[in-house]
Amino acid sequence: MSENKEPGMAYNMPKLHKVMAILSFILFVTTVWVFLDDYIRPWKAIQVESLQIKRRHIEESLKAATKEIDAKKLAELKTSIAKGEEIVASRKKAIDASENDLKAVLTKMKAQTIKNGVSNGDVSAMNFQYETAKGHHEEKEAEKKLAELAKLKEEFNQGKDNLKAFQAEEKIIRAKIADLNKEVISTQKEMKDMTMKVTLLEAAKKTTDISPIFAIRNMPFVDYLDPTIKIQQIVINDVTDDRYFRQVPRVDRCITCHTFIDQPGYEKEKQPFRTHPKLDLMVGMESKHPMKVTGCTSCHGGEGQRTNDFVSVAHMPDSEKQEHEWVQKYGWKEPHHIPNPMFRLSQTEAGCVKCHSGVELIKGATVLNEGRMAIEKYGCYGCHTMGAWTENRRKPGPSLLKIAGKVDKEWFKSWVWEPRSFNKHSKMPAFFRQSNNSKPEFVRLNMAEVNAIAEYVYDKSKPYIPNEKFHPGNAENGKKIISQVGCLGCHGVEGLEEQSDKVKAYAGPWLTGLGSKVQPDWLVSWLKKPSHYQEDTIMPSMRLSDQEANDIATYLLSLRNKTFEALTFAKLDTKARDELLVDYNSAFDTHNGAMAKVAKMNDREKTLDLGKRSIGKYGCYSCHNLEGFDGYAGIGPNLVKEGSKPITQFGFGLQHQIPQERDKWIIAHLQRPSRWDEGIDKVFKDLNKMPNFYMSEAEAKKITVAILGQVSDVVPLSGIKKYDAGEELYNKGMKVAGKYNCMGCHQIDGLRGDILRNYADDINQGPPRLVNEGHRVQANWMYHFFGNVEPIRPWLQIRMPSFNLSLAEKNALVAGFQNGAHQGNFEEPEMEVSWAPGEREGAVKLWNSYNCVSCHSIGFTKDVAQAPNLHNVAKRLRPSWVRKWLKNPQAILPGTIMPSFFGDDGNVPVDPSIFEGNADKQIDALTKYVIELGKNQK
Amino acid sequence: MLRELINKLSDPIISFPLATFAFYLMLKYYKTFGSKKFAYWTVGLLIPVTVWFLSDPNFFSIISTPDNIPIIILLVCVGFFTWFAISKAAANDIRIEAGLGPIEATPEEREKVWSWPNLVYTELFAIIACTAFLVVWAIIFKAPLEESANPTWAPNPAKAPWYFLGLQEMLVYFDPWMAGVVLPGLIVAGLIAIPYIDTNPKGNGYFTFKERKMAITAFMYGWLVLWIYLIIVGVFLRGPNWTFYGPFEYWDFHKVVASFNVNLSEIIWIKTLGVGLPKNLVLREIFGIVLSLAYIIIIPPWMAKATRVGRDFFQNVGAIRYYIFMFLVLMTMSLPIKMILRWLFSLKYIVALPEWELNL
Repeated sequence: MSENKEPGMAYNMPKLHKVMAILSFILFVTTVWVFLDDYIRPWKAIQVESLQIKRRHIEESLKAATKEIDAKKLAELKTSIAKGEEIVASRKKAIDASENDLKAVLTKMKAQTIKNGVSNGDVSAMNFQYETAKGHHEEKEAEKKLAELAKLKEEFNQGKDNLKAFQAEEKIIRAKIADLNKEVISTQKEMKDMTMKVTLLEAAKKTTDISPIFAIRNMPFVDYLDPTIKIQQIVINDVTDDRYFRQVPRVDRCITCHTFIDQPGYEKEKQPFRTHPKLDLMVGMESKHPMKVTGCTSCHGGEGQRTNDFVSVAHMPDSEKQEHEWVQKYGWKEPHHIPNPMFRLSQTEAGCVKCHSGVELIKGATVLNEGRMAIEKYGCYGCHTMGAWTENRRKPGPSLLKIAGKVDKEWFKSWVWEPRSFNKHSKMPAFFRQSNNSKPEFVRLNMAEVNAIAEYVYDKSKPYIPNEKFHPGNAENGKKIISQVGCLGCHGVEGLEEQSDKVKAYAGPWLTGLGSKVQPDWLVSWLKKPSHYQEDTIMPSMRLSDQEANDIATYLLSLRNKTFEALTFAKLDTKARDELLVDYNSAFDTHNGAMAKVAKMNDREKTLDLGKRSIGKYGCYSCHNLEGFDGYAGIGPNLVKEGSKPITQFGFGLQHQIPQERDKWIIAHLQRPSRWDEGIDKVFKDLNKMPNFYMSEAEAKKITVAILGQVSDVVPLSGIKKYDAGEELYNKGMKVAGKYNCMGCHQIDGLRGDILRNYADDINQGPPRLVNEGHRVQANWMYHFFGNVEPIRPWLQIRMPSFNLSLAEKNALVAGFQNGAHQGNFEEPEMEVSWAPGEREGAVKLWNSYNCVSCHSIGFTKDVAQAPNLHNVAKRLRPSWVRKWLKNPQAILPGTIMPSFFGDDGNVPVDPSIFEGNADKQIDALTKYVIELGKNQK
Repeated sequence: MLRELINKLSDPIISFPLATFAFYLMLKYYKTFGSKKFAYWTVGLLIPVTVWFLSDPNFFSIISTPDNIPIIILLVCVGFFTWFAISKAAANDIRIEAGLGPIEATPEEREKVWSWPNLVYTELFAIIACTAFLVVWAIIFKAPLEESANPTWAPNPAKAPWYFLGLQEMLVYFDPWMAGVVLPGLIVAGLIAIPYIDTNPKGNGYFTFKERKMAITAFMYGWLVLWIYLIIVGVFLRGPNWTFYGPFEYWDFHKVVASFNVNLSEIIWIKTLGVGLPKNLVLREIFGIVLSLAYIIIIPPWMAKATRVGRDFFQNVGAIRYYIFMFLVLMTMSLPIKMILRWLFSLKYIVALPEWELNL
């Protein structure tokens, strides 16, 4: 211890004081640090920057506005004001006198107002006293009060009257003053109007000043009062977060940094200051998803409440390049503790799904729709439950109930073993020869399974005898017919690769090697009447003549796959079969018990039993109609909430090169599902059974978007897109249209129309686009048309097929189209044509001057028709649609050859002499005329 | 190689006996342990060892988690203060043996000083320094922001606050009501009871080990081995699924450890005697019940009669203090006993009566 201690002291006091001073200083510094640490937030800097950007924008518009002002005129106005002021100055005395008068009147008015207020109170109080007295039957007192009340009322009325008199006086004096100043006032007003915009902009600019007031309002300690820089948030009542079993409205604070997201004009700013790129659909005030209602994370995902920094809200990079950029710029890290990070930019459309449930295609969601189409193509929903939009669908694969009448068993086995070796476009996935089951001991078992499956399927197969005979025809002609009649809307065809690749049809199989696959008689029967072989097929009849059918069959049969033909499948390995059966049976039995059980069966029973079990194992029945599997559920896991499945529940196996992210897993899984088993010691029955579709990365990514959107978020009823009765019917109708792949050929209300890509040169040669089709055609006609297709556009080579629609399906389609176009069943029943005097003559004149029959020649001339038969209008089209069509055909079908007779707006009459040049009257008359044509024919 | 060895040694099966043994060595050779030379050597050795440990990415990632920083501070503090106390005690004990009395009893150390400012002022320093330190710590290592709490989706591993990790570790060996209620309750009760049990007048106001061997050994074992050591295990060596991970091991979520535990009744009735479990619950668990009761009821009187230590202690403190103290010691020792039984015999419960919610 120090020597100079005082008695009773253990320490040297000055030294202690020094320590105290140092410690106090440290505490002071840390205290300041605390406040600074609390005060300095990244979003504040961003808001200040956004203020500067806003200022820059205002300055730019200010410049533009200033330029707009006519400087010459302004100078003129200024001089005229100066002149006017001189004149006014000469009247100074009169003006002063009037001003004094005005002041005196105003004073009187004020005094009178006070007086009136007092007397108003007196009247009310006296009135109360009188009524009380009267109510208590104190008649004498009441009488007295009544008298007083009358006096007060009179006073009050007098006062009111006085005030009115003063007001009139004031008006007169003001008019006088204005008159004395007239040379200045009007010019001043003119000038103010001219500079109004600039003045307003200048006021706006002032709000972006970094002034002392701004500094004080945003100062530490004071900024809780009324800061200008603050966290901005949106409370979304229609989307909730799950907090301890309680649903709480979601809060999004994204706009704290994305300051101009809802304001047009900032499209070119850097992030986060950019305007939303689809303001007309999202975020914008007028859009269907306004910011204040929909918020941000309801579509984009991520942590909307967080404002800490860029990383904490779980922004997700869209590419490796962006990830690298973010790591450099923001120290971006993969979000670990966030159950649902933001959707990557290219996956944003996944956000549509949770509110827009039930429908298959959502307008505007291109990637999502393509993903769902790919799901449809591969039939994922066969094995997996995937939510409302996939419910009640047909089985994705062809029926195998009569397969023995179509292909032979040897072909069947080789096909099941490796579909791609026969058809490289096969939609049937590969179950075998995958990276997880290619070990010799597994191959041996797999082959036994395939043999057994074939035995089972052919055992159950019903006999089939084709109802047509094949007669060799002209293959070249057949190929031409295929390319013309519309086969390509559903099928890709070998030899027509160029056209097929454009259409990318997927509803039917890619047609190749048919000569090595089916019997000629079967093929002709199938082409002529598909439902003869499979009652519930979606393949329609093209109403082919015998010659056409035989020509097509000749072409298709000429396509052969010699290598595949040469394949023979190994004989059933009975030892492998028995091993597998013992394995199955030992699930609930001992090994010896299972052996005994299997030994009791005869050879045939064993094979069929393994066949059935194998079909059950691989889920063949999910895609194909097979006897003995009624009521079997799909073998795949339910994907309805896949987008919310915790990342820890995804098995990444030994695939360390795949980032531990939900979307990355799904993409990898779709491309090669067997990868998760690689390097892992698994017994045969535990191998991953998801087959390989050999899909491209692009397809896998699109499907991933569709799957990621299927989340477990609870969306309150108010938040879910509700369909009214009409929309429901439309969706139902479109479901049928989707089932029969109508959109493979027809573009319906802007969606798909795949085959139209082959008619890019002349869209009028392709199948008609259906825009508001329910408005175009009459419900009755449409219904009959489905049952009995008749040519409408004889110049088309492509044919509307005859579909094997059920009554319910026809009804759903008709009701769907009708309601999609907001039409009732008989909104406009067949109109009785009644003419006004002279109207019909006018119509005939128009008919002749437009020369309608030059294109609509059917029934009029012998010319080749280039437009539909007008004699059918009465029974086919709705009159109001005919009017709309005549008015502006391009607005309905851009690119149609129907001329816009009435100008681009439908207002210009061609012949001003008819109906006083009234275009609407002319259109009406023409409409009546074409309807009459049909009536007369009857 | 060396890292793998350390990984293996850290497994509680080995490291717990090692820790106990180290504790025994520390007290046995406390004079050597308390020497400055020993301290210098230890620090000199520990620095390169620590650097080498830190050079391992897995170890570094565990140790540098913001949550784990207090444990590092704890390690340093506990190490230092343990050494400091023992070093003082050793110095005093040498003096006492030489007949000089403890340093604290020398005349110059007995001088009285004013509590203000000598005590109060310096306490204020400590308060300020601690506040500043905590503030800076809070600023630099922000509380981590994780997903919003979801009762249906617990984080894995779900860890208690670091100071409770010793208790959480006990859950591995005991039924929740034992590990979570009875044993912590006994710790509190035992701490309250200490002044009433301990009648040894020596060691008041000065450091000594020799004069308070029993009290210090019992307390320090509970503190260092059963509390601090278990916290270290809980923080650094327990990963996802509460599985053991060596200090250099990657916390692989999918790590699987083979363990299949059986009850004492199953070991005896089925494995040893080869008969089925009796239907009667008490009969089924009779061996466990007898053993447990014997442990609590027979050991204390037997020790008081048969062993010299027990006899002396019994005579010094009297029957009531003796039995309470022995009860507490036995309960304390139940943890290491249970651990060893688990590791050696995969023993689940000595008495397994889930029907009565009673598992020991």
